[in-house]
Amino acid sequence: MSIGPNITPPLADAPAADPQQLETSRGFWAETWLRFRRRKLAMVALAYVLFMACVALFSPAIAGTKPIICKYKGHIYFPALGYFHRSWENPIFVTDHFRNVYPAKLKESDPESWALWPLVYQDPQRRVRADEWPDHPANPTRDKGHPNSLNLFGTTRAGVDVFAEMVHGTRTAMLVGFVSMGIAGAIGITLGAFAGYLGGWADMLLSRLIEFVMCIPPLVLILALIAVLPHPTIWHLMAVLGLTSWTGIARLMRGEFIRLREADFVTAARAVGVGWFGIMFRHIFRNGLAPVLVPITFGIASAILIESALSFLGFGAPPPNPSWGALLEAGRDNLQMWWLIAFPGLAIFFTVLAYNLIGEGLQEATDPRLRQPGN
Amino acid sequence: MNILLRRSLYLALLIALALSTASSAEKPPADDKFKLGDLIEPFTPPLLAELDKTADWQDMPVVDPMEELRDQKKKEPPLVSVEEALRLHNDSPEDNKKIISALSMVPPADGKGANFDASIGRCQVMDLASTNPLLMSSFAEAEFGDLTALFIINFDWNLVPFADANAVVSWKASKDHLLDKIVLRDDLVWSDGKPITAHDVVFTFQAIMTSKIPIPAVRSGPDQIKWVEAYDDHTLVFFHKAAQATNTWDLNFPIIPKHIFEKSIPEDPTLTTSAFHTQQQLKPVVGGPYELIEWNRGSNLVMQRRENFYMHNGKQVRGKPFFKEVTFHLLEDGNTRLLALKSGRIQETELEAQQWQTQTSGRDFYDSNTKAYGNEWLYMYIGWNLKTPFFEDVRVRQAMACAMNYDEMINDLCYGLYPRCHGIFAPDAWMYPKHPLPLYEFNLDKAEKLLDEAGWIDTDGDGIRDKEVNGKRIPFEFNLTVSLKPDRIDICNLLRENLDSIGVICHVVPMEAAVFQERVQNKKYEAEMAGWGTGTDPSLTSNIFGTGEDRNFGSYSNPKVDALYKAGLLEFDPQKRAEIYGEIANLIYADQPYMFLYNQNRFFGFSHSLRGYRFSPRGPYAYVPGVMSLWMP
Repeated sequence: MSIGPNITPPLADAPAADPQQLETSRGFWAETWLRFRRRKLAMVALAYVLFMACVALFSPAIAGTKPIICKYKGHIYFPALGYFHRSWENPIFVTDHFRNVYPAKLKESDPESWALWPLVYQDPQRRVRADEWPDHPANPTRDKGHPNSLNLFGTTRAGVDVFAEMVHGTRTAMLVGFVSMGIAGAIGITLGAFAGYLGGWADMLLSRLIEFVMCIPPLVLILALIAVLPHPTIWHLMAVLGLTSWTGIARLMRGEFIRLREADFVTAARAVGVGWFGIMFRHIFRNGLAPVLVPITFGIASAILIESALSFLGFGAPPPNPSWGALLEAGRDNLQMWWLIAFPGLAIFFTVLAYNLIGEGLQEATDPRLRQPGN
Repeated sequence: MNILLRRSLYLALLIALALSTASSAEKPPADDKFKLGDLIEPFTPPLLAELDKTADWQDMPVVDPMEELRDQKKKEPPLVSVEEALRLHNDSPEDNKKIISALSMVPPADGKGANFDASIGRCQVMDLASTNPLLMSSFAEAEFGDLTALFIINFDWNLVPFADANAVVSWKASKDHLLDKIVLRDDLVWSDGKPITAHDVVFTFQAIMTSKIPIPAVRSGPDQIKWVEAYDDHTLVFFHKAAQATNTWDLNFPIIPKHIFEKSIPEDPTLTTSAFHTQQQLKPVVGGPYELIEWNRGSNLVMQRRENFYMHNGKQVRGKPFFKEVTFHLLEDGNTRLLALKSGRIQETELEAQQWQTQTSGRDFYDSNTKAYGNEWLYMYIGWNLKTPFFEDVRVRQAMACAMNYDEMINDLCYGLYPRCHGIFAPDAWMYPKHPLPLYEFNLDKAEKLLDEAGWIDTDGDGIRDKEVNGKRIPFEFNLTVSLKPDRIDICNLLRENLDSIGVICHVVPMEAAVFQERVQNKKYEAEMAGWGTGTDPSLTSNIFGTGEDRNFGSYSNPKVDALYKAGLLEFDPQKRAEIYGEIANLIYADQPYMFLYNQNRFFGFSHSLRGYRFSPRGPYAYVPGVMSLWMP
């Protein structure tokens, strides 16, 4: 049995329930969603983020040089999955000397084969060379790769297609935001919850830990880590970001727990014998989550910015991992190649803006003080 | 004047760091008593008269570098007039030749036409660690030394050594190549007015050979000298340990004043920490043409012409240095340097390849500047660590050489500005082999065949080649470290792409320069991309390719190469030496301890007001007269 302040009391007790009231008395989350939905900008931002998530998820089907699905020597393969992880691409293509160029080789090795190709035949990790694809000249290199019909967003100095790199870079941007904030959220919520609920010396210790971690500058830590690790990857970066940016979340969670642990519904739950774990995570946590979502959303935005900043400085994901920040960096030394700055710059700008709008929308939707009559 | 780490080659463009931190770390225990010259074996020099009787002295060249340059210029009439050259856009090798031929002219001996009141702004990428020439180890310190330090032996744009007539009256060598007798001029004074004598040279030699003084680079060279004796104030005899073709280069070290350091060195062998030495750092007593008058750390460095360098007792005794003042501005960022040149704050700067190609073609650049380049003996390579299981087999290294798309690297990634590298010596060098081996060409089939032969086959069917090493099956997956330079990362990435397609996983790991250097020096790497500039003599490359040598970071070893390096040192006939080093180059190319990529030219932007720049295999400044031939009309 659970009784929360925002949860409708059991209807059975209400005499002659009015059907009208039944409809309007929504739960807290439904209420929040309703208010959030009314904010046009926030909804546009949410749609944008969902769109980006789709782009990230389906990136190998949007731009790539490997078939999404193909039949080769009597078997069905999904070579495009290799963009997610190399081992997901069947090694038969390496053994058969495909050398990462599929179109001609497929027909040559097995005339019976067929394949479904990505929308755009361009690769995020390498230059497309002449005669790989019918009527497709080699990608221009140096600073000659102006946007054109084959290279929608132009090419880099090395001839890699910017559009393909940006589509696949979306994956990096999304991952960095979600993974690092996932880690930060998990740590921050757990530690904040315990600190707030237990109080006393546990709170004292955890609060000191929070203050200690707040003193660690994540950028410096990342730079040091890159120097020490033999083979730094984007995952290390996410881990460091996650492990250092949970303090704000923990503090908010702690505050919520301190506030709510004395609330009537908690006392009631305790009175009927709910265990501490149940009280913490079934009752208090659910009601205290709203304020925490806001810093998490803003955190995602700032994680994307940090990743781009690191890549811009050259400390980000090493090549060939596609990254918006890395494109920006390439543009810094070649200012005349405006397309290296404009497209990824806009992508970063809009994504960060979208997360900030969502965060703001959430904040306003969950804040009872901003609730207006009829809203 | 112009010595850039003679024995030690400099890590090309990895300028950032002091070169051999390792040697400076070798400090003896603190309780040792200071002893000047404790690394010198005890030796009692014979009397000069005895030497004169037995030595059979041979005359050696004493050259005034500016005079030599003037003579050379007389033989090379300018291809166009100065006005035309300044109007030209440097778009082809012919234009480059024209620009250099016209603008490398120098004023006549009387200095007519030169503006001696002019000042020049130059730039440095990093600040000096020290102004003491014995402690020099970086590019910036070497360039400072070119202007302020006194050298007895120098070399010209052909890297031919001679005694500098600005400091030396005569130079004789014994027939057995074990002795050098040098008589110094009597009109040389330090910047504080005290005369420069042979005793300063002896003192400098002793200081260099003192274990307690942390000398990073200057010691290699002089450590091959047995003893230096001053027979009077001006007569010096150098006693060599062995008769080697490189003995002359060992005399090429900067001189420090005995009267300044005699008492202070025992108190503070670091040369940097005591109050007196700190003051010496800021206002060093120098023997070169310029002296330091202002040093704002992290910002700039101002040097002024020394009047008592070229005037003696009211008479001009040497060529007057062309600039009244030389200022080094510290500008770390390439874009800032270019802006400083365009705005006239500096009059020359090195340009990055892409700046040369794309940012210096417009009117904003050519209105008040021009640009030029020289072919340098500087090559970029990918070095393999032969101690790793991947690269110990020569077939694997050859396979790597076949897996590089050289055409695309040169034409696309390097803007077509660089020639391909033909091995450790440049094709226009005298030591380049007469019958060079054919270059490796891009051929993935051949690479796969070589890898198969070497036993790297995909046995577990995961698309990655593997091999059993010491009972363990390891995949062919290695890290290729490179410093944070976009052009280099692109080249590594091209190799990565090719290797990936033949089942070899290469992780490109870009690293900040200091970390990169530390990893490489400690041999904690599998593959690295870097470059070497040229030293003055091919024998110097033995510390890169000789077994167990200092800079042999990849642990390459070939007894034949070692033997040839030894033979090269003992051979005095230039023709035979060239053959020996040519053979070394061929052996190394066949063994492929490096994948040889390209010879990097260096690009420079010069203000319209500047004249007198001439390129050598070490760039426009690192020889004599080098920077001293720059002038303004």
